[in-house]
Amino acid sequence: MNLKNDELTKSINTVGDVFVKDARIKARNVNVFYAEKKAIDEVTIDIGNKEVISFIGPSGCGKSTFLRCFNRMNDTIDICRVEGSITLDEENIYDKNVDVVPLRARIGMVFQKPNPFPKSIFDNVAYGPRIHGLADNKSHLENIVEMSLKRAGLWNEVNDRLISPGTGLSGGQQQRLCIARAIAVSPEVILMDEPCSALDPIATAKIEELIHELGNDYSIVIVTHSMQQAARVSKRTAYFHLGKLIEVGKTKDIFTRPQHNQTEAYISGKIG
Amino acid sequence: MFNLYLLFVIILISLLFYFFGVNNAKKLKLQNNKLHSLKHYYGFFALLYSLLPSLGVYFILTIGDDILFSNMIKIYIPTDIINSKDFNFTIALAQINNSVDGLIFGTPPAWVINAANIWKSWVIKSHIITSILCIVTSLISGYLGYSKINHNFRSRNAVEKIVISLLAISSIIAILTTVGIIFSVAFESIRFFALIPIDEFLFGTVWNPQFEGAERAGSGQEGLSQYGSLPLFAGTFLISFIALCVSVPIGLYSAVYLSEYASKKERAFFKPLLEILAGVPTVVYGFFAALTVAPFLRNSGSLIGLDIASESAMAAGLVMGVMIIPFISSLSDDVINAVPQSLRDAGYGLGSTKSETILQIVIPAALPGVVASIILAVSRAIGETMIVVMAAGLAANLTGNPLEAVTTVTAQIITILVGDQEFESAKTLSAFALALTLIIITLGLNFFALHVVKKYREQYE
Repeated sequence: MNLKNDELTKSINTVGDVFVKDARIKARNVNVFYAEKKAIDEVTIDIGNKEVISFIGPSGCGKSTFLRCFNRMNDTIDICRVEGSITLDEENIYDKNVDVVPLRARIGMVFQKPNPFPKSIFDNVAYGPRIHGLADNKSHLENIVEMSLKRAGLWNEVNDRLISPGTGLSGGQQQRLCIARAIAVSPEVILMDEPCSALDPIATAKIEELIHELGNDYSIVIVTHSMQQAARVSKRTAYFHLGKLIEVGKTKDIFTRPQHNQTEAYISGKIG
Repeated sequence: MFNLYLLFVIILISLLFYFFGVNNAKKLKLQNNKLHSLKHYYGFFALLYSLLPSLGVYFILTIGDDILFSNMIKIYIPTDIINSKDFNFTIALAQINNSVDGLIFGTPPAWVINAANIWKSWVIKSHIITSILCIVTSLISGYLGYSKINHNFRSRNAVEKIVISLLAISSIIAILTTVGIIFSVAFESIRFFALIPIDEFLFGTVWNPQFEGAERAGSGQEGLSQYGSLPLFAGTFLISFIALCVSVPIGLYSAVYLSEYASKKERAFFKPLLEILAGVPTVVYGFFAALTVAPFLRNSGSLIGLDIASESAMAAGLVMGVMIIPFISSLSDDVINAVPQSLRDAGYGLGSTKSETILQIVIPAALPGVVASIILAVSRAIGETMIVVMAAGLAANLTGNPLEAVTTVTAQIITILVGDQEFESAKTLSAFALALTLIIITLGLNFFALHVVKKYREQYE
């Protein structure tokens, strides 16, 4: 921890270790407003290198809103305004000179509802590499697609029907296709916004296993409604309540001995 | 007035049965405390049971009595008149009917007045019989329906069945009308093709129906009038093509702007404005084309040494294109708006720019609807008449040059059928052959469009 972090620590109310040694993303005093309404209130947190961190909290606590700050998806909402600073490898992503196009290629996103494009499975995965010009030629592109599908654990199920539409897959397969699509552009961080909430338990188990594996290579931030899921997939957990980051800590600690009484109330099912 | 009173009485009776039904249901509920359906369904059941049969009787009687009377009146026409050489029953019937309605020109013959009086007495009798039959029917059938009501009776299901059959009848009427139109056009066309060979009509390159065509069949005066429809269809497609060149890009671009780039305020302002274009009567577009656009084209053409006809395919096509912009923009805008936000988010999340997202994700997803809107515009363009009549001229030139005067199928149909025409002539009948061909072409286009849309649907959803 450097001096700057120490200074800030005094002004934040979060319980636990918001800072990590090898941080990729550093969010400092982030406020988000929808028109006049404050949705995120002075949130400060680090996202470490190759760490899987869960954001948990009751509905409407702002965890998805905060997640969408990391790849500036909130830019697409007119009335949304972000204050404070978020840096990716020490570069402020809200700087005027930052272009969101390469930023979003570095920070991939998987959404709540599987949203494959109305294109073939191949074109779905090839979409990102194509718009960012990542492939030198056709065989290179095919290689990227194959690798991405393999990493998403989907290759064996779809390798004989790459030209059939992605929307024809089952819900769980669609979500893994979306993950393959996200990792095809070789991001450094993957944001997942409740990726399993629309899936059945078996598909969920597959995705969780996948998140576990991907955690070896990527920083993953996962927003989830399910405390069990947070406990299963993540090393660190952050608890949000009413736009405030209440507590951050090792997942084990959060679930076994939470320090803040609100966290405890949520963990034990009293609020939520 | 009689008809209105009778209908009023029938409806009143069925309303009474509604209240009887509801009341009965209330009573049943008090006795039994269990009722299959809600109370008002019992009322509706009794109402429909009373209303529908009596309406049926009413329509059969009111339509049937005229037919019956015109057959019965024959015996009151004197035999010497029937036997005279220029007797025409339709005309005699019209004379009698006019007399009945009080439309008397000069002094009608005595037999007409006589027949008219008899007819009038029949009408009074028929009114009495119709009223009695209708009221009795509504009472009897209403009572039948009412007596069916007991606590086990599933009136909700019964009412739904009746309503479903009413819906089915409505759709059948729409379909039968279409079939009727096609058949009426087809029969006249067959008469036309008896006079003019079908291959000459379809592949002939000269359209010149001005000379009476009927005589050429027997008299050997060939070549006087010619019925080659190729120039007309060429003109139709030329003008439609120009119109689409204007409306498809403008319509699509404005749809994309409205749905993706415009703020809510701008959209609320521009979209209704665009749709006003669809509300302008085509005849107004017609004189705009003829009085403003065509002279402008000719003047600007002469500046650069181009000889543009004062009535040209270009003028008509340009204005027609403006006319059909709202068909494309409004429908496409709705379709593009219906593309789920999650697809756009997926695009942005991967780092596409707004235009990449629109071009590669939103438009392909909206394609079936966009294609449908374009096909609708094509049908409008092909069927459009007024603009062409006023701005494109009536000269049946077989040309691909948009700067010359051309004519279209619809414009020719109008000029052929307007005014006094002998119905048996090939010239008049040719209008029906043209109409039939046009119907077949637009049907084919619609069929093709549906096929395209279906194909993309299967692939994308």
